[in-house]
Amino acid sequence: MKTPAQSHGWKSLLLRHETLLLLVLVAEWVFFYFAGTTTNRRGVVVGFGTLDRQFDILRHSCEIGLLALALTPIIITAGIDLSVGSLLGLCAILFGQLWHDAGLSVPVAIALTLVLGALGGALNAALITRLRLPTLIVTLGTYSLFRGLAEAITRGAVTYTDFPSEFLFLGQERWAGLPVQAWLFFGVAIAIWLMVHRTTLGRSFRAIGYAPEGARYAGLPVNRRIALAYILAGVICALAAIIYTARLGQAKADAGTGYELFAITAVVLGGTSIFGGSGSVHGTLLGVAAIAVLKNGLACLPAVMRLNAAEEMSGMLTGALLLLALAAGALPRFVSQWRGRRAASPSP
Amino acid sequence: MTPVSSHSGWISRNFRELSVAAALLLVLGAMAAFAPAFFQPQPLLSLATREAPALLVACGMAAVIITRQIDISVGSQFSVCSVCAALLAARGWPLPAVLLAAVSLGALFGALNGMLVATLRLPSIVVTLATMVTLRQGLNLVRQGEFVNLPDRTQWFGLSQTAGQITLVTSALVGLTLLALALRHLAAGRFLYAVGSDAEAARLAGIRAQAVTFGAFVFIGALTGLAAMMNLVQSPQVQPLTGMGMELKVIAAAVVGGVAISGGRGGLWGTLAGFLLLACVAPALTHLHIEAYWEKAIQGAIILLAVVADGLRRGRKARA
Repeated sequence: MKTPAQSHGWKSLLLRHETLLLLVLVAEWVFFYFAGTTTNRRGVVVGFGTLDRQFDILRHSCEIGLLALALTPIIITAGIDLSVGSLLGLCAILFGQLWHDAGLSVPVAIALTLVLGALGGALNAALITRLRLPTLIVTLGTYSLFRGLAEAITRGAVTYTDFPSEFLFLGQERWAGLPVQAWLFFGVAIAIWLMVHRTTLGRSFRAIGYAPEGARYAGLPVNRRIALAYILAGVICALAAIIYTARLGQAKADAGTGYELFAITAVVLGGTSIFGGSGSVHGTLLGVAAIAVLKNGLACLPAVMRLNAAEEMSGMLTGALLLLALAAGALPRFVSQWRGRRAASPSP
Repeated sequence: MTPVSSHSGWISRNFRELSVAAALLLVLGAMAAFAPAFFQPQPLLSLATREAPALLVACGMAAVIITRQIDISVGSQFSVCSVCAALLAARGWPLPAVLLAAVSLGALFGALNGMLVATLRLPSIVVTLATMVTLRQGLNLVRQGEFVNLPDRTQWFGLSQTAGQITLVTSALVGLTLLALALRHLAAGRFLYAVGSDAEAARLAGIRAQAVTFGAFVFIGALTGLAAMMNLVQSPQVQPLTGMGMELKVIAAAVVGGVAISGGRGGLWGTLAGFLLLACVAPALTHLHIEAYWEKAIQGAIILLAVVADGLRRGRKARA
């Protein structure tokens, strides 16, 4: 929902959430480029500035990036899906089973996994739209259910490995200069961007998130649209599961544990309102990139600067960044409220 | 809040709590029939002791959800409070002082969440998601996953094991009873329901809704600190990963027990029933010789079943 003031003028463009986030991302990247790149004793450049490292960042952010893309339309409709990480795990296991135990060929197994992912999303969708249950609780339940099924199927022990090299190509090789999964990721990103920003579907997501009753009175098929968002998320989770399995070369029940939190963080960091009604896919992509660069950049810093714990440091900074982004977003409203209250109360 | 003078009466008003209690009795009955070993006093007491801290956090969570907020940072708060309290105890602080410190630290974290949610009006789920990640990773950063060894005197408050276990379980139940009474009969308790039902109406009625929200977060923080302390005395060392995933466990307990995520409805007795039902799953599976890997799936199914039952009942009421 663009207000007239937002849609023109360079000043408002500069103050847009996405622009600020882009500046943060660029600053991050430049900092790590200079602080995290070193030349080792043999005169080879190592660290953040190398192309290999950049591809590595891209490779590692594809799965969380896909989940974040899946979550963007859902959060725009004022929903949430906590089950994406668990569904990723379940789909990884199911793919392993279909390929290894059922003896299906890889393409058929992939296709079936995508269908099963859609079914997982459809379970969420049915509970949310048919029974009008709160999304947070439904997906909390399926979060537990999907992960539990993955653990029960594998008895917590089975790991599927020895995938054929044509399949591992998806997650470990390059095609036309970029990691293969990056092409898939960009393809999904463009499709979701077009859907959210250039179709009536995207408009209806915003309308539903902004005022579900209003959307219904305007004649939008609210339930069908919401169901679409969750089923789509299920398919994307299955795709992420396949890429994850191909990257690591193994499928285990704990695949994608905790990914939902990073994905939600990326979406919110990207400026999508958790209350629904507004948000953008490019914002989400920037959020994913900001988190990924932070995480990998810290790992590249010389040992003195990174306190020996890049992983924890980046997690903490991501959380702090999220709080800062939220507070910065809320501050203008808070100040105006406070001013309004002061003006309204009689002066002593 | 349900109207007090309804024709359908007490059973209909507490239908959800009663059905969860019935399910719990059913599980216990099945255990009595098929695996009476479940009811041996010592293992049962150990189970109750292990679960007692989380029960208190579940009470706090019920209060927060009744106010139409949520706090998913309790697991991280619990870990940080545990480790800090353990470090103080290892330094030789007397136990009451450690207890005070743990509760204050928890309340401080709660105040941070509460300030961000109530004053800046940020959505609680995102705020507490951020504090959850920040606290957890901050703890990992500082402690690097190191365990803290506790002095012997903290074990069961220096009592014998059984006496310590009984003390813990009793104090958790007494605490629950007091909190349940307070929630039902004290003005502060009713304010939680009022704000959760309709914050604007509560404000017009003269309730400071923001202060109530803030208070709810401080409350759950303090309870989490207390729970960390109750967990601390149970083992000779504290590992920093304790409390991971606790947030989902206590939210699930409250929701299964009939606390509505949309605020303003539910109570602590229902939460207790939901908590016990979920806590029984793992030991019941072990005793019935079903593989323990089904635990999470069954817990998820219970959560879904509870909300589906709610949805169906509401749908029938709406049609009637």
